[in-house]
Amino acid sequence: MIKDFIRKRSIHVCLICTGGCNGCDIEVAALLSKRYDLEQYGIYYHNNPRECDALLVTGHVAKQWQEKLIELYNKVPEPKAVLAIGACALTGGIFQQESDKTGAPVSNFIPVDAEVPGCPPRPAEIATAILKYVPGVLASYSK
Amino acid sequence: MSYVPIGPIHPGIKEPLRIKLKTEGERVVAAEVDLGYFYRGAEQIAKGKPWQKVAYLSERVCGICSHFHPVTFIEGIEKIAECEPPLRAQYLRIIVGELNRIQSHLIANAIYFLAIEHETLGIYLLNIREKIMDLTEMITGNRVHYAWNVVGGVRMDIKENQTKKILENLDIVEPAVYRYRKMFKTGAFLGLRSKDIGKMTREEAIDVRAVGPIARGSGVKFDWRQKHPTFTDYFDFKPVWRKEGDNYARIMVRFDEILESIKIIRRAINELPKGPIRKECEIPEGSIDNRYEAPRGEVTYIFTTAKNGIIKDITIRTPTIMNLEACAKHMFNDSPTIADAVAIYQSIDPCIACTERVTIVDEHGNQKDFNGINSLLRAYPRQRNKRE
Repeated sequence: MIKDFIRKRSIHVCLICTGGCNGCDIEVAALLSKRYDLEQYGIYYHNNPRECDALLVTGHVAKQWQEKLIELYNKVPEPKAVLAIGACALTGGIFQQESDKTGAPVSNFIPVDAEVPGCPPRPAEIATAILKYVPGVLASYSK
Repeated sequence: MSYVPIGPIHPGIKEPLRIKLKTEGERVVAAEVDLGYFYRGAEQIAKGKPWQKVAYLSERVCGICSHFHPVTFIEGIEKIAECEPPLRAQYLRIIVGELNRIQSHLIANAIYFLAIEHETLGIYLLNIREKIMDLTEMITGNRVHYAWNVVGGVRMDIKENQTKKILENLDIVEPAVYRYRKMFKTGAFLGLRSKDIGKMTREEAIDVRAVGPIARGSGVKFDWRQKHPTFTDYFDFKPVWRKEGDNYARIMVRFDEILESIKIIRRAINELPKGPIRKECEIPEGSIDNRYEAPRGEVTYIFTTAKNGIIKDITIRTPTIMNLEACAKHMFNDSPTIADAVAIYQSIDPCIACTERVTIVDEHGNQKDFNGINSLLRAYPRQRNKRE
């Protein structure tokens, strides 16, 4: 009971960049600044898949990632949520044209719970998506 | 002798890349860099497309220096068409370009400070970066990918109240940068983590063809802005450089370049000429090798156009591929601990999204080490003979 209460308010996040143009990752890094300040909302940006609650996946899935993404997903402890961020992660974006080099969308490989569209999405949108979706996953697990 | 792998997912590294460090005790002896987590075939997509689509695509080569890729490409087309954009457009490009350079240098230094666990300075720098991001959003309408440069000029003009806002924000940013530069210069522990670590001499920098702030930190006095026509005609630009060649020098070069860029923007706004911002160009057949100074160093676009501005063939060379080799070959040898290896890696301001141009597949063996052009020549000796 108390664990559910606390876990909803302390979300550990891991960013996995599987390609694209790096723009989405920079917008996630911008979330650390004082204007957005993730940690005030109880979100901790921690690039370690073994102790995170939510995976933020960006980018078209490059060839080297296609097996490793599934491995990484299995390393994340339950309960877990996956957010696909940016046009590349949702559809392959502009790189979909060279389709043998992209594995996008991310949902081909791992189950995606929430999608944040945009090229790139604004930092506030990413923070809103994490806050709206992930606490629900963590709360419903123990029931 | 043991091996320590770092990455592709690692708390100290934002982008996927694997570094294999060969260590003796705590000391790093050699390093290997393993790329290939980002390859997306941007050049293949560009072939046979009209320039409008390729300009859009060239922004997506890199998300941080997303002004410099389209500008290098578009200036190339303008050179083929012999169609110089109006002077106001050239000035506006310089204003947005220098704003882009400031935000790129700020995030590079911020990530370096986060890597050496000095979070205060890192978060301070990210804070003032948001002021610059506001300005680029105000001028071009977007934070990251502007889609603002077109052949023959720029898409949107700048208004008087906007120039006022730019000067206001720069008045906040400039003293802040001076303050953080002083903090870095005089901080005792910052100095311990940065001075005399990751050294590269001038000869080594020239040998591995290092570019940008990395080469300028090692005493190579070169900047492509010296040769850019707008800069030579209307601005008296001098490159910033330092002698030391260590982490400290590279970070200081970036701080000094931010201050230099602020001066350039102020001057450009004060002398902003009036007139149109866009003109019509007809694009004939031709080929060009165009270069420009991105925040990380030299960006090269070599391409051929067919009639009506269709791109026949394109090669993009980005700065990090040379800087990464410089880092692996000369800087890691000088790293006293493994923690410093991560700091050295961040001090070259790597952009892996730019870098991924080639994937190497060895059919016959398990040799996957990539050592620049030499390993390609070793792998394909026949093609080399043909060329000769």
